[in-house]
Parts: sequence; structure tokens; C-alpha cells
Amino acid sequence: MSALSDVTSREQAARELLSHYVRVVDDPERVHEWPDLFADEAEYVVVTRENLERGLPVAVIRDDSKDRILDRVTVIREFWGAGGRLEDRHYNDVRPRHLVGPVWTEPAEDGSVWVTANFGVWLTPSADPTPRLLALGEYRDHVVFTPQGPRFRSKWVILDTAVLQDVFVYPL
Amino acid sequence: MATVLPRASGGPPVSLRWPPEDNRIPREIFTDPDLFRWEMDAVFTGPVWVLVGHEAEIPQPGDYKTISVGAVPVIVVRGGDGQVRVLLNACAHRGARLVEGPSGNVLRAGFRCIYHMWTYAPDGTLQGVSLPEDFPAEFRREDYGLPRARVATHRGLIFASFHDETPPLPAYLAELTEGLDRVVGDGRLRYLGSVKVVFRTNWKLYVENIYDGYHVTALHTGFQVVRLRSHGGQRLVPNYQRNGHLWGQSRSTRVDELRPVLRDMSLFEVRTKPTTDHNMIVVFPSGVVTDYFDTIQLRYVLPLAVDRTLIEFTFFARSDDPEEVVRHRVRQGPAVLGPAGAITLEDAAALERVQTSSVARGDNVVLKGTPKRFPPYRHVDEAPIRHFYQAYRRLLGVADGAPSQP
Repeated sequence: MSALSDVTSREQAARELLSHYVRVVDDPERVHEWPDLFADEAEYVVVTRENLERGLPVAVIRDDSKDRILDRVTVIREFWGAGGRLEDRHYNDVRPRHLVGPVWTEPAEDGSVWVTANFGVWLTPSADPTPRLLALGEYRDHVVFTPQGPRFRSKWVILDTAVLQDVFVYPL
Repeated sequence: MATVLPRASGGPPVSLRWPPEDNRIPREIFTDPDLFRWEMDAVFTGPVWVLVGHEAEIPQPGDYKTISVGAVPVIVVRGGDGQVRVLLNACAHRGARLVEGPSGNVLRAGFRCIYHMWTYAPDGTLQGVSLPEDFPAEFRREDYGLPRARVATHRGLIFASFHDETPPLPAYLAELTEGLDRVVGDGRLRYLGSVKVVFRTNWKLYVENIYDGYHVTALHTGFQVVRLRSHGGQRLVPNYQRNGHLWGQSRSTRVDELRPVLRDMSLFEVRTKPTTDHNMIVVFPSGVVTDYFDTIQLRYVLPLAVDRTLIEFTFFARSDDPEEVVRHRVRQGPAVLGPAGAITLEDAAALERVQTSSVARGDNVVLKGTPKRFPPYRHVDEAPIRHFYQAYRRLLGVADGAPSQP
């Protein structure tokens, strides 16, 4: 395989990882698959642009290890009664819908790929037919290639709004 | 000298039904938009001290932040002289909002109104106006400073009042000062940032939830999952004859005795205190102060509409914390108490449900702990909610329903 097509296929694989991510986080029944999309050393951070630009360290979510990423699924399912089978959801029952794009990719010299994308997340609560715009912002992802395939080394979710319109149950 | 906003007078503009029993709360008070407007005046610009920040949020001369006191948008600013002031965020000329963003520094530039280029010093005095020719002869710049609230501080906590009859802050806080001191220490804090979220609930439902010790183990499933319990504590209501603050004290299970369902249990860890005691405080009517686990948090409860309330969660470290302690606080705070916090989502879900069904009319009822008429209460009691509504009713000019003194 030529160098050019190798880079192109890596960028394509990174895009497919993001598409797969959206499929998983949009489906409450598949929330347990979400940590599998991250490398063994990984971070998942959700931060407001306001705190980021002011250099303030407080993030909405700062899962700075794979353990914390795995713990998030436990918190979603066991603490918050969300995710999993419909009959296991006690409250916080919403259907998230991610709209992602455009997506930009930039290969790094070490073979990894940086992916940025615009995103919006809408929620449709089961108890309220009116969809709510939960969040709007930008993904800044670093995708590495492991023997198992492409994985997120880091996923930063940068929120445009300083005032969140709802609490966060599922990953953004 | 503080400028006091003109206030409406007389009773509520609506006929307020209140049951004779002081443990019953009429649901209409969570849905009536006329009452909401009245509260913004009678409660938030009434004779109360509203928590608007901590000095660590505006450490340098000229630093400012924006917030609101009820419906009144204000700027909390540290002047060139180091003094903290609370100014109306509206030009004294034609009322345009002066600053839009959440924070900044105006030491050099002052506040400049975009509309007609009027410029104010950081202390709110009018410095200059554009093209003042043909103004009335009696125009004097000193008559057009930005209206100021009264300001009082305690260990860096900044309180504002728009009422000239508000008692001095120490008398208003009474024995709550001891609780505040336990959380903020000597007041030397470092600001770590804030997270803001809209709760779909009336502001009173948000505040009364903190007076309620009954829901804690019932609603917060996470506590059940890790088997975190309260090992004693109490719920005090400092100054209940007047203001009805809440000072909840509780000792929670040590992290090494919890069921380790999470791989990283530092969420529930206490490293900076000798015991797992914590304080959960409401400075009536709307300031929340807590030192849950190792998190030092202030919350500002900002009513947006009768059914929407903005909660700003602000996080702090102590000025002399080593970096690894700061890092621990940064990781723990929002993960426990915030819009994605392990024990916050349940409150949002429950309060939204109470709000949604308030249109059903009828009364909410407070039962647990109510055979006792006066504080102290047990930490699992919801009875302190009665004192919140007694203080609220006094401000509204409705008979407070409180029993006579013991």
C-alpha cells in the first residue's frame, strides 16, 4: 500500500470511528459499548468554551482515565437508572440524537489522526414530545490505531453555550 | 452610598391561598406568573442579603462578573481601590446593558455603553458622555452614576441587598456564620471555574430541596449503590424567626467502607478534612454553600421564569492547597455536584416532575420530622422546609403561619 493511500485509509477509518460513536451514543441500549471506542489510555472531557478560554480547569465532565470512562457507564445505568433495556430505566429516560458534521481530519506524523467536527445533540424525553436542544459545539478528537482498530485517545467536547439547557445523562 | 431601587408596596397582586397548616404548600405558588413577578420584587429586592459571589472570582482590581439579583441584572466588580461593589448592569441614560459576557476586566477601559458611548469608572461613577453640547443646563455627571446595591462580605463571600431596611449582615446570618466559616475557612480561596445549567423548575422547589433531608437516601440511588449513609448529623435553621437559613450537617461513610462499584472511587474520597463531616447550607433566599467530600462549592440560584431556574455551580480550592489537592478537587467537584454529577441528575429529574404536576393544584405536604415544631431537626428530616416558607411568607406580607415561640 502506498504512503498516500495508507494516510487516506487512516483518515477514513477515523471518520468511521466517529460514525460508529454516534450510533452507539444515540442508543440507550448500547451505552455499555461506549468505553470500547476508547484506547486503554484515554480521556473524555466535556468543557464549556468559556472555562476553556479563561484557563479555568473546571470541566462539566473530566473522565481522565479509561477507568473513569468505564465508571461512567456504571453511573448512567446504576446511579441514574438510565441506559440499558427499557424496563431497566427508572427515570432520565430520553432519546438522544446527535447531528454531526462537517468532519475534518488531519493526519499526524506518528500515524494518529486528529478529527474535528461540529455537533448538536437533541433530546426527546419519553414524557415530553417536544425535542430539546441539549448541546451545540465542537468535537476535538485524537484517534490512534491499536491492534483492535481505531480508538479515541482523547475526545474533547467543547460546548458553545456557557449555560447548559439540561443535565447530561448520556455521553455527548 | 447605596442606591435603593423603587419597590412596589402592599400585598401580593394575586390572592394567595395558603392552607392553615404550616406543613402544606399550595402548588399554585410554583406556576403563577404574577406571583413570580411579585417575588422578584418582594423577596429578591426585599430586606434580604443575596449571595452573588466570592471575592476569589474577581481577585484583581477591575475584575468583574455578571449575575442577577432576582430579575435585576448586576455587575459584581472590584474597583481600582480594591473595594467590591455591585452595580446595576444597565446604562443610566437609556438603559442598554453595559456588559454582556460573564466576566472580564475594566480597570483601564471602564464600562462603556455601546449605545451613546457613556463611560463609567469601575466604581460606577459616570466619567464621560459623548457630545454633551445641548444637554439641559442642569445636567451633572454625578447624578448619573450606575445604581449600586448595598454590599457586605463575610470571609470573601459577597452579598448584595437592594433594600435599605436589610439588617447588617452579621445579624442577618446570625449563627449561620459558624457554618460558613467551616466551609470557606479564612476566606482565602482560589476560583476553579463554574458550570451553569437550567433546571426546569420553580426556584423555590430548587431551594426547598436543600432544606429536605428526607429525599437524600430515597432519591439518590448512587448512595444506595455504594452504600453511603449518613452517620448522624442535624439540620439547623439559623435565625428561623426571621430569615430561615438552612445549615445541614452530616457525616458520611468513609470511602474505604463503601461498596467499590466504581473503579475510581476518588469521587467519594475525603482527603482534606480530618473527618467525613460536611455542611450543606442555604443562605436565605438563594445562596447555597457546601463542602461535600472535598468539594468547596457555592451555588447561585437565579430565577429565569416561573418554571425555569438557572443554577450556577462554582468551584473553589483553598489558596494554599498543593497542586495535587487542587487536581483532586477539580476531578471530584463537577463529577459529584454539577449538571453531569453523580448525585445531581436525580434532583433535576424529581424537581421537573414536581413542577410539571403543580398545575394539578392541591397542596404539597411536609411530614418527616414535623412533630417537632422548632430546630434542631434530625439530618433526615424535611421539616426545615416549613421555616423556608415562613420566611418567604413574611417577605410577601402573607401571615407566616409560624407557631408561637417555645
